[in-house]
Amino acid sequence: MIEFEHLLLLFIATVLVNNFVLIRFLGICPFLGVSRHVDTAFSMGLATTFVMTMTAFIVYFVNTYILVALNLEFLRYMAFIIVIASLVQLVEMFIRYASPVLYKALGIYLPLITTNCAIMGMALMIPLEGYNFIESLVFGFGAGVGFTIAIVLIAGLREKLEFGDVPESLQGVPITLILAGIMALAFMGFAGMITV
Amino acid sequence: MAESDRDSVKRLILTLTVIGAFGSLFLAFVFTWTNPHILEHEARAREEAIMTVLPDAATYEEEVRNDQTFYIGYDENENRAGVALTVIQGGYQGMIEVMVGVDPNREEIIYISILDHEETPGLGARITEESFKENFRNKPIDDYELVNRTPEEPYEVEGIAGATISAETVKEIVMEAGSIALEHFGGGS
Amino acid sequence: MKNLLAIFRNGLWAENPIFKLIIGLCPTLAVTNTVENGLAMGLATSFVLISSEIVISIIKKWIPNDVRIPSFILVIVTFVTFTDYFLAAFFPQISDQLALFVPLIVVNCLILGRQEAFASKNPTHRAIFDAVGMGVGFTWVLVVLSLIRELLGMGTIFGVEVFGAAYPEMIVMILPSGAFLTLGVMVGVINVIDKKVGSDND
Repeated sequence: MIEFEHLLLLFIATVLVNNFVLIRFLGICPFLGVSRHVDTAFSMGLATTFVMTMTAFIVYFVNTYILVALNLEFLRYMAFIIVIASLVQLVEMFIRYASPVLYKALGIYLPLITTNCAIMGMALMIPLEGYNFIESLVFGFGAGVGFTIAIVLIAGLREKLEFGDVPESLQGVPITLILAGIMALAFMGFAGMITV
Repeated sequence: MAESDRDSVKRLILTLTVIGAFGSLFLAFVFTWTNPHILEHEARAREEAIMTVLPDAATYEEEVRNDQTFYIGYDENENRAGVALTVIQGGYQGMIEVMVGVDPNREEIIYISILDHEETPGLGARITEESFKENFRNKPIDDYELVNRTPEEPYEVEGIAGATISAETVKEIVMEAGSIALEHFGGGS
Repeated sequence: MKNLLAIFRNGLWAENPIFKLIIGLCPTLAVTNTVENGLAMGLATSFVLISSEIVISIIKKWIPNDVRIPSFILVIVTFVTFTDYFLAAFFPQISDQLALFVPLIVVNCLILGRQEAFASKNPTHRAIFDAVGMGVGFTWVLVVLSLIRELLGMGTIFGVEVFGAAYPEMIVMILPSGAFLTLGVMVGVINVIDKKVGSDND
């Protein structure tokens, strides 16, 4: 059962201890852009988690059997971004077909998932940390879950803020960033809990 | 698929292939040009670390035993002057990589060099400071204990205020390196 | 010429990528812990931006409209890879400190955004001014942010002690929270300045 324990720890570490948004600084643009309402934020989180998990899956194979095997490591960034862009295209087509309402709600942020640095960052960490196939999947999924938690949390806070008295200059981006700063402090409490 | 859709896909593949081909060619050149420099930096960093942790060595030789790479130092009289190896372990923010110099004959740690880390600047990053590394100069190999004051016993290591995890990780790395080195080179071999 | 200068100045304030367009935030928060890193990141991003805008403004007539975004991305990733290997070979320390964030320049929406908004619709000489303006706009904000964070967080600039060794370091400034807080306050302050200038002009 040691394998399962290791994977569980990896998952928790990725979601909380090394949270992609609040500790690693990845995924900030959608974090600020799609966090006005909890339900949109949650859908964005779901879509991103799906793309991340699929990306981790494909990237592992591309890296191991194409890039490393053929000594083409200098084409890594090119290969990875092509994988991500294609996956996002597929997800976009699927959502457009399955839920036009959601498609409209997410708007331009859907194709912008491609430029979510959290996905590319996660993909690049797979060869860096030398994860095997299962570890990559857990890592990608964990990254998505962590991102979703962060974005939903801040959306919840922002929804409450609508009824608050925020000075005009701080409205929108500044107050969100300040809130995120406080949240990041809170998440630091998880630090060192698990060292993977 | 409609005619225009098929054309669209063809255009997509053609354009991307052309751009991709040009890009890849360009990058192949860039890689050939820069790779030697990158390798040289890595080699130089490693050599510096080895010389730091094996101060009596004039030269060193690389040897692999049981999948573990060792750097065996030799002084001017071609006597063995210690064995160096790198150990990596997860610290507070990321992996910490340490080069440890060991004297298997005297069962001592000679010195250490922090190769890579991602610890917090001003806190965990202080493991690279001389004052912390001095803990491990000519230290008898043992089970170490981290303490918050000047060490009184040889198995004590003075920690870093506010950076317990980083210091603890380095302590464990050094202990591991010591035991691996003794396992392969101990007993006056 | 005046037109070109206006394009350049646009990126410095009116359409500043970080606090007006609100893009390119990941590196802004992550690598502004020291001035050296902030400046290096700004320059690296500017380099990729300028080279990409130049190339794309040249080849734009050969790129079919419906495949333009993937095409832009491929051009950008080529220059990013170049920058990454170049830094690793000739500035290894900076390369180590910037780490993952150099390849992440690929997904910096600033660069893709400018190709779409400008380079694909303008002649090369105008694209150059836009790229340089945006690059400088991005870089100066990074430098200011990292000045604040390094000064308050470690009492140094470029690693040089400014306040002396007894300075009580505000470590939080170097940590993620400090980044979020500083940028948030900075954007708030800039909004105030903007409003003032706007009402003065009325």
